[in-house]
Amino acid sequence: MKDQKPYEDNQLKILFTQEQIEEKIGELGKKISADFAGLELILVGVLRGSIYFLVDLTRKMSIPFAIDFISISHYSEQADSTGVVRIIKDLDLSIADKHVLVVEDIVDTGLSLGYLLRNLKSRKPASLKVCTLVNVEARRIVEVPVDYKGFDVPNVFVVGYGLDYNEKYRNLQFIAQFDRP
Amino acid sequence: MGIITISREFGSGGETIAHFVADKTGFVLVNKDTILKGLAEHGIEVPNPDQEDLGATEGKKGQEEQYIEAMHDFIYDLAIRNDLVILGRGGSILFRDYPPALHVRVIAQFTERVRRVMRAYGLASETAVRLVKEKDRGKILYLRQVFNANWNNLRLYDLVLNTEKMVLEDAADLIITAYRIHAEPREVKDGPPLGEMEDRVFIPPAEAEADQFMHPSEEEFAHMLDFYRIRWQYEPRTFFLEWDSEGNVVEAFSPDFYLPDQDLFIELTTQKPRQAWKKNRKIRRMKELYPDISIRLIDKRGFESLLKKHSIDQDQGEEDDN
Repeated sequence: MKDQKPYEDNQLKILFTQEQIEEKIGELGKKISADFAGLELILVGVLRGSIYFLVDLTRKMSIPFAIDFISISHYSEQADSTGVVRIIKDLDLSIADKHVLVVEDIVDTGLSLGYLLRNLKSRKPASLKVCTLVNVEARRIVEVPVDYKGFDVPNVFVVGYGLDYNEKYRNLQFIAQFDRP
Repeated sequence: MGIITISREFGSGGETIAHFVADKTGFVLVNKDTILKGLAEHGIEVPNPDQEDLGATEGKKGQEEQYIEAMHDFIYDLAIRNDLVILGRGGSILFRDYPPALHVRVIAQFTERVRRVMRAYGLASETAVRLVKEKDRGKILYLRQVFNANWNNLRLYDLVLNTEKMVLEDAADLIITAYRIHAEPREVKDGPPLGEMEDRVFIPPAEAEADQFMHPSEEEFAHMLDFYRIRWQYEPRTFFLEWDSEGNVVEAFSPDFYLPDQDLFIELTTQKPRQAWKKNRKIRRMKELYPDISIRLIDKRGFESLLKKHSIDQDQGEEDDN
């Protein structure tokens, strides 16, 4: 396979440009800052895809907060299909009695987020909310509350801005539809 | 001891056939009643006499196991002294290591069985469909719970009879003939008999597991739900979509999965969009008729991205051939 600049890739169709994303994240940052003003807020980034979004989101926020990360195993990454979901990297901070905002790059089936929320809820946070950059309602299997969302996307595969395909395309500054080979 | 085991889909006529076979051969018919009576005579308490409930109940495990053990002892005891026609009760598994036994499965198409049940019990079509589904499900659970076996594994049987276009008495005659051939086999010329025997009695567990689902994708989907600790039921309910002028159900639809915690039905299709129109039509019809029921269709693309988001291999899967 020859090396190719991602934006020259003809499998990509841009859905949201860098400007649109920046504007949207600005709105989200503003809203979150207003909603959590005066509260002790912990942003929980779900590894790995959410880091780009999380960094830019926090830059648009005007209130104090703490950041932590969590990572869970995914079915699609299992060598065999007999295991159960588990936390690979847990939070370092205690979230008890704190206001928690889970930051996701994408919410589609809700399967992994559903598990994550059940897990976090058991730690008795003062509140538990979800912010995602991309929301694919058409693929939802488990209903999960999405309190803040950037873009609604139909049932297509998307990459860019943290979203990958086999670890590729994460660093794109835009979000694109990707027709898989 | 002569043994004929008959397993049947509910409404396929298997019970009537078993009676015919017993009458014509003079074998003793062993069914649920025989067993319950026999066990009662031995003073064994039946914790849950209805096999259909066995799999559904939690707890009381010790008592149930005792009962199951007693039931097996009872059948084996009977078999030593008598020739038997065993109806249901996992007979084909109980006697699968006894080569002269003939294991029969009686089947018929779902709609045909529903029609028969409506006639036989004077039921409305909806009740009949529910009954057939429940009974079949009970059999699946029973075999899984008691024998860890897959009821739908046809390798458990020597003979499968479809009774749709068959007089039940003829079916009985076929079974009797098959039994005679089977019990007194002619010399096998084209292969070592031992090998055949092994093939007949050896059931790899992995394969049995796989057979529980109609399609491998469904099994994988179930694994995925297990992975994320989502409770699911496989084809627990059938929805009627169309009736003929006499009120008989002519089209029904059983979504693949039900997720009780989400109150959501899920239908999987790995067909390409142009082949999936029939399923789409059924789902549309279902939504019209049952607006309060949530159902979601997961199509081929959705399914692939769901399961193997990160695997290139899977993208080049079986159906990508044109």
